[in-house]
Amino acid sequence: MKAVERIAQHYLLKQLPTATALVGVDGILIDASDSWLHTFGLCPKDALGVSVYRLFKNYNADCGKSLKQCLGKSTTHTCKFSKREGSSVSWYENTFTPWYDEKENLIGSIIQTHNITEEILKEKELDRMIKLLKTKSEVAKVGYWEFDLITEELFWCEETKKIHEVPPSYIPNTNEAIEFFKQGYDRNRISMLFHQALSQKAPYSEKVVIITPNGKEKWVKAMGKPIVENGVVVKMFGTLQDIHDQVLVEMQTKENQQLLTTLIDNIPLNIFIKDIDSKKILVNKAECEYLEKSPEELIGKTDFDLYDEEIAKISREEDLEVMRSLKPMIGKETMSIRKDGETTYFLTSKIPLLDLDGKVNGLIGISMDISGLKKKEDQLRDLINVTSLQNKKLINFAHIVSHNLRSHSANFSMLLEFLAKEEDEAEKERIVSMLSNASDNLMETLEDLNQIIDINTNVNLEKEALNLHQNINRVQNNLSAFLGKHQAEIQNNVPKNLEVQSVPAYLDSIILNLMTNAAKYKSPDRKPIIRINASKHEKTTIFSFSDNGLGIDLEKYGGKIFGMYKTFHNNKEARGLGLYVIKNQIEAMGGSITVSSEVDKGTTFNVYFNEEDQ
Amino acid sequence: MCILMKKISSIFIVDDDPITVFGIRKMLKPVALCDDVQIFQNGKEALDALIQRKDEGGDIPEVIFLDINMPIMDGWDFLEEIMTLNLNEKIIINMITSSIDPLDYQKWNEAKVKCPHILNFKNKPIFKIEPSDLECIHLAS
Repeated sequence: MKAVERIAQHYLLKQLPTATALVGVDGILIDASDSWLHTFGLCPKDALGVSVYRLFKNYNADCGKSLKQCLGKSTTHTCKFSKREGSSVSWYENTFTPWYDEKENLIGSIIQTHNITEEILKEKELDRMIKLLKTKSEVAKVGYWEFDLITEELFWCEETKKIHEVPPSYIPNTNEAIEFFKQGYDRNRISMLFHQALSQKAPYSEKVVIITPNGKEKWVKAMGKPIVENGVVVKMFGTLQDIHDQVLVEMQTKENQQLLTTLIDNIPLNIFIKDIDSKKILVNKAECEYLEKSPEELIGKTDFDLYDEEIAKISREEDLEVMRSLKPMIGKETMSIRKDGETTYFLTSKIPLLDLDGKVNGLIGISMDISGLKKKEDQLRDLINVTSLQNKKLINFAHIVSHNLRSHSANFSMLLEFLAKEEDEAEKERIVSMLSNASDNLMETLEDLNQIIDINTNVNLEKEALNLHQNINRVQNNLSAFLGKHQAEIQNNVPKNLEVQSVPAYLDSIILNLMTNAAKYKSPDRKPIIRINASKHEKTTIFSFSDNGLGIDLEKYGGKIFGMYKTFHNNKEARGLGLYVIKNQIEAMGGSITVSSEVDKGTTFNVYFNEEDQ
Repeated sequence: MCILMKKISSIFIVDDDPITVFGIRKMLKPVALCDDVQIFQNGKEALDALIQRKDEGGDIPEVIFLDINMPIMDGWDFLEEIMTLNLNEKIIINMITSSIDPLDYQKWNEAKVKCPHILNFKNKPIFKIEPSDLECIHLAS
């Protein structure tokens, strides 16, 4: 019966799922569950009688001590140990409980061995996480805090304390905490946000200034988030980040940017930045004003959107060359024609723009408007042209003068020489009469020259608005005898109200000369008809005189027709002065005269009155 | 006196100034014997007469006194025209001018090379007709 009981007991212990062993007071193993034996790598048949003290030595000596204490003091003890199994390590905990018989005599110890590997690992992970959080907090300079609304306790982590520059032993409270924020805006702002977070359950994030106990100002980013349970805020959780250096750098950058923007915007030069596709990515005020568009309208646009196509093509080629060669284009004279046709001259520089890796990613353009200078230059060139033309005229005139005066003086010399040698009285008289003839000719020539000089010196004669139709009629009346003799018919087709800007005496002379010429050089086969027309244009009035007379071979004489003392027909009245005079008069008034003719058909003179300047 | 007289078959004077024409005629009298002296007001008249003489087999003038500045056809144009006539005879052409325009002198220099005739340039005033104005002087002889 006893044996049966013992076997049954043995079997019960053997099957216990928890690794359990019984040892005597001497530490000798009396019985153990299979799982316990397995844990320590023992075989059931040679396990009994083994000393657990010796067994534990292989794992952790403390376990032996714990067992001794258990057996000595009849108290429960625990002890952890680890066991290496291949590459992994398992953790176990032994619990030593005193074992009594029916009479409460200590007869040994009950050992229970739990596998606590998982708990150990979790504990280690937690430890690691805490360390990680702390490190992260330190590295990122982000501290955290927690405020329990129920206990009204405020917790600051180490980093939060460090940011506030208080010792780790410092214990914060809400009143003191709020006083760290700079008085005025910062403190009010945080108080408001904190209360809003509580009342409206709204998280916040704000850059504010705190003042440390040393009086140092510090920029921080304060964030707060209410923790809600069952619709009630129970906690506030927040972080605090030291962003002082960052803010300072930001402010510095902003200041630099402000400086640069002010400079770029107010410099009296057009400045633009283009990307690699020649799209504008920055334009300054001057450039916007020039193009009469807002910066938003210009960003992303290319020259093809803004200028005449030819101009845009040239500009794009310059851009490509600068970006390809990386050589800046400096101070090139360029011309821009806006879409509205406005032409502006610039002195343009294009400088390649490199990114941080030294790769080209666009260009900076600087243009100076030199239209004003250019205009002055053109005016100067015009002035030089006028001067050189005047000079040419002057030389031409000098030759005419020299030729005409010389021819008379030569005649005088020759005749006087004859007179001195002549003995025959009749011949002498003849020579004297010739001398008087020569003198008359000289006088006439001098008068002609005077007339020309008058025109060319009085260039500032006042022009007036004169009615062309009426002036033609007046000259026609004065010439009525002459015109009647030639049986000339005048067709005055000039609009009755048309006015031209002219010096009155010159207009008279122009009409008179053209009218008499047309009558004088009439065809012997036709009655002369003179058609006079005029039309007003933007800057000039064209006044034309057409006749049906002899005409003139312009291929032969075209270059000479307005020359002095040039005549082309056998006409006794022709002196070769009229056209020369009126050409000078017209040019003195800033106009011009042209001729077209066909032999034996007629001649047309076109006079262009300059209506632009007074 | 008679030894210096040169016998010339025909002379043209082309000038629109009657005083100059008078002077040339007067100066010709003691140095040249010529029954055929013709006066023309301009180059066109002289050219027409020359062409007529050529066509009719008349005397081509040995000497021409030619003014430069004349109406209708001036001296230069006259020169151009007679060069196109391809005359066999060499004419002595005395260009007479009061011009001191260097351009006229330069033009004469250029024409002298091109022209198959003998071109002299005489600046006014003239007081005397030189033997070289009437005949070709061979410097070698």
